[in-house]
Order: sequence, then C-alpha cells, then structure tokens
Amino acid sequence: MLKRYKPFLRANAMDLLAYRFNMIVWLLVTLLQAATLVFLWVSVYRSAPGGIDAVINGFTYKEVIVYTVFTTIFTFVTFNSETLWLINSDIRKGTIGNYLIKPISYRGKFIASSLGGYLTMMVMFGLPLFTISYVVFGLVGFIAIPTWYDLVFHVFLFLIGQTLAVLLNDVISYIFGLLCFYTSSGWGLNQLRATLISFLSGTLLPLAFFPPVFKTIVNLLPFAGLSQNPVLILLMKYDYLMSLKVLGLALGWLIILELFAKLLFRHAIKKITVQGG
Amino acid sequence: MIELIHLTKEFKKPIRGKGLSGMIKTLFSRKYEVIEAVKDVSFTINEGEIVGYIGSNGAGKSTTIKMMCGILTPTKGKVLIDGVEPYLKRKQVAPKIGVVFGQKTQLWWDIPLIESFKVLKEIYQISDEDYEERLHFLFEVLSIDKFLSQPVRTLSLGQRMRADLAASLLHNPQILFLDEPTIGLDVLAKQKIREAIKLMNAKYKTTVILTTHDMNDIEDLCSSVVMIEKGSIIYDGPLINIKHKFGNIKTLVLSVDPQLNLDDVAKFKGNIEIKKEEDRVEIRFDADKVKLENVINYAFATLKATDMKVNDISIETVVKKILSEQEKSK
Repeated sequence: MLKRYKPFLRANAMDLLAYRFNMIVWLLVTLLQAATLVFLWVSVYRSAPGGIDAVINGFTYKEVIVYTVFTTIFTFVTFNSETLWLINSDIRKGTIGNYLIKPISYRGKFIASSLGGYLTMMVMFGLPLFTISYVVFGLVGFIAIPTWYDLVFHVFLFLIGQTLAVLLNDVISYIFGLLCFYTSSGWGLNQLRATLISFLSGTLLPLAFFPPVFKTIVNLLPFAGLSQNPVLILLMKYDYLMSLKVLGLALGWLIILELFAKLLFRHAIKKITVQGG
Repeated sequence: MIELIHLTKEFKKPIRGKGLSGMIKTLFSRKYEVIEAVKDVSFTINEGEIVGYIGSNGAGKSTTIKMMCGILTPTKGKVLIDGVEPYLKRKQVAPKIGVVFGQKTQLWWDIPLIESFKVLKEIYQISDEDYEERLHFLFEVLSIDKFLSQPVRTLSLGQRMRADLAASLLHNPQILFLDEPTIGLDVLAKQKIREAIKLMNAKYKTTVILTTHDMNDIEDLCSSVVMIEKGSIIYDGPLINIKHKFGNIKTLVLSVDPQLNLDDVAKFKGNIEIKKEEDRVEIRFDADKVKLENVINYAFATLKATDMKVNDISIETVVKKILSEQEKSK
C-alpha cells in the first residue's frame, strides 16, 4: 500500500535538488538572520544586571547563541512543507479532482512529499551544518563535550523529535490548507500559520523567556515540539526523562491533529464545487 | 454496472450586492441562492456499453460525471459503481475507473510524458508486464510514442488529449469517463480518439461514458444515449430512436442577394424549411428524404447563392426538438 506514495516522496526531493541554487541563497539569508540574532543576544546579556556571565531564565549567553544557531539550521531543514500552497492551488485550479480519482489518500500524498523533502534537506544541508556547528561550538567551549554514548542517544532522540516536527508541521499546514475550502484567502491563512509557528515554537526565542503562566501553556501546545524541544534534546538541556516526555507530547498532538484533520477533510470535501470543465 | 438513483446536486451560491455598499453588506449578511445543477437523475449503464451523455452547455453533464467518479458528493440520492458509492469509498473505486476531462489535463505539467506514466504506474501499482503490454497497445492506437520525452506543457492540444486518454487507460479501468474528450480537436485528431475508444471497448470490454458536443462522436461510438437538460433527464434510450426521430437533418447556410424574394422559390414542399434574414438563408432538410445534391443545385441555380456552408444537426437542436415534442405531448 505504502508503495503507491513513493512517487510523491521522490518528487519533492527532486524539486529541491533541482532548485538547490535557490536553497543555497535562501540558506545564506537565513544564516544572516541568525547572525543578527546572535549580536542581539550578546548585547542583551552585556546590558544585563549580572553582566555577560548572567544566567537569564536558565540560559547563559553561550547557550542562547548555540540555541539560536541550531534552531535556525533546524527550521531551515525541517520546515519545508508546501502543503498549504498546494491545497490552495488544487482548490483554485480545480486540480484536486485529479487526486480524488486516484487510489491514494489526499493526506498521504502530502505526508510522503514532506518526508521526501525533509530527507533531502537533512542529507544536503542538515547533516553537514549540524556537524560543523557542533564541532566549532565544541572547540570554542560553547558546548560541553559529552560522552560518546550520551551523544549517540541524544542524537537518536533528536532525530525522532525532528521527524515528529516534520509531521506536526505538515499536519498544521494541511489543516490550514483545508480551511482554504471555506475561505479563499490562502495568503492570509499562511500568514497566520507562519506567525503562530515562529512565535509559539520557540524559533524566535526559547519559550523559557515567556512570562510564567503563558510559558506553561505554550509548552503544552503542539508548537513547542516543532523546533524548541528537538533542539533542546540535541543540546542536552533536557535529560532522558524530560526528552521522552516532550517526544510523547509531540506524538500525542500529532495523533490528535491527524484525527482532527481527517474529520475536517470529510466535512470540507463536501464543499468542493469544481464548476465547469 | 453503474446505477444512478435519484441523484441530485445543489450548489450554494452567495448573492453579492452591487457596488461598494453591496459588497459591504455581503460582509455582514450572506444570502445564498441554491442552484440545482442535477435534479433527480436516475439511469443505469451496463458493462461494456458505450453511452453518450449529452446536453447543452451547463445542463449538468460534468457535475453528474464528477459525482460518478467520486469528486463531488451528491446532495441527495446516490451513485453505485458495482454496488459501491464512489465518493464514500474513493480508494476502493479508483482502480476501477479512468477519467479524462477534456478541458483540464491530469498529467504533470512540467515533467516528460513518460515520467507521468511511470508515476501512474506506481500509484496504481501496475505490474511491469501489464505496463509494457498496455503501453505498447496505446502506442499503436494513439501514436503517442513520438512525443513521450516532451514535457506535457509543450504538447499540442491534440497530442495532450491523446496523452491524457492513454494515461487514463494505463491501469486498464473497467469504466472510462470521458468528459468532452474531443473538445477543440480537428477532424483527424477526433478520429484517432474515437478509434482508440472503440478498440479499447472491443478488446477489454471497457464501459465508456462520454459527453460531447459533437453529434458525430455520438453516432460513431454510442449505442445508447442519455440526454440531460437543465439538470433533468429528457431522454434515455438507444441512439436509433433519436435518429428515427430526427432523420439525417442538415442545415445549409447561404449568402444570397438581399433583394431575393423567397416566396417564389419554395418548391420542396414540407420536406424542407427555409428561413431568410437579409442576405442570409438557412435551409434545413432531411438528407435521407431529399438529396443533398438537389438542394445544393437549387441553392446555386434558383437562389443564386454566392457562398455556402453545410452544417450537421447540433446537440442543441436535438435537445430543443425533444423538449418541444414533450411540451406538445403534455
């Protein structure tokens, strides 16, 4: 059954390889943004009451810088879901019918192509960038050198967390995409989605910097599993128990959101009006 | 076997106010107009049949086809394909059906045709032998092998239509839905499409449901016809009956001297209908009863026509005739 989705797994990968020059330019832009954030953090810590060595919300300036760089790489590699746009254009152009008459599920097609994109990005950019950053930060003493088995386990848990993040990101994109059945403003929906994610996933700053009550709530939402939690697992800010907890939370949310998406699809699909043609 | 049972599809259309104030009003209160695209349609299609599903533009043909292949969900009633409702069990019905929408391609626009076929091979899980055999057959009947390596967007309309038809047949569906497969094609291209449909039907017993605006398609392919107008079925039966009813009606359009007085020239009595508008004369006649040759001679000799065009009967005319006959019989 799963073999039917292979072409979609491949297609996105091939697209990304074909547009690798674009990706490299995009990467440079992203790294530039990360550099700006790093300078911002340095000046924040400099002007803190305890000086540059202060610990703010459990983070030293070294840890915050490492966190910023890693989340930047992480989001670059992980958030490649084009699901919302594809659904939007399927609805506008009426091409959704082409998929509804094929023996594959509409949802499954998107999961396959998101995973394909993720694997390609991870091999092409993720592995080299993560390795280089880890080694460089290790050499300058920003990351404590772990024992080898701690490293292996955390990398393993991180990869699980990252896969869950890809799937979570895709299902959120899919749900927002399905909303295009009800309102035809795909652009607005995408803005809403992007803002929610960058704010609530800890991409801008670690969630620990939010006010106490808000922090607790946001940590329970699915967004924390999108980038903060996997990165903190990799950076060993979470011990094993905490790592398993956040992975469990992400998995739970994934199941809930997939079920919700299924119900929403069932309702939305009745609204199709592929006129003419 | 395909059964349609009291099938109805309604679309809700918001009523928009006019001008800026109207637009602002629609922001706060939405009124909807309900349009019944398909009303209480029932018919049955048996295995191996080629059925023409005809009607004028906007009659509800495409909507019915889309419900039959599971894209649209009916408002009331149901479609059964071998006892299964396609819009409820999409994945179960999909391998059994092939669909071509003449106005939209289902192929991937940017990749070479053969790659599209390979993707379909994987989606439908077609075995290597079946794939090779069918590809070979389709190469022969549709001669698509010449442009296999071109991206779909570079194909001409005729080539694209043949490619689309081939793509819909790759998995050897039992049922083939063709929604205007000959739209915009020239005579030769139409011929090729028709031949392929005939061959497929003969070789694999494929059931074919075909919508078209070309009466020739229907005459060439279909044994029976379902006719729809404003969402309701107005005829369902063998093609022969329609042909008997209308004979072989042709229309001759002539350019003549505007001064010509028609009253002097009517000589075919009853079997022919002549209408005149300034310098245009339309002659409608039954080619089985009156020889085309005679009418043409008459047009040039008596009416002194300077230009001429022969038209076959159009679906719209047939629909109009059937409707007016039904009015009379009421």
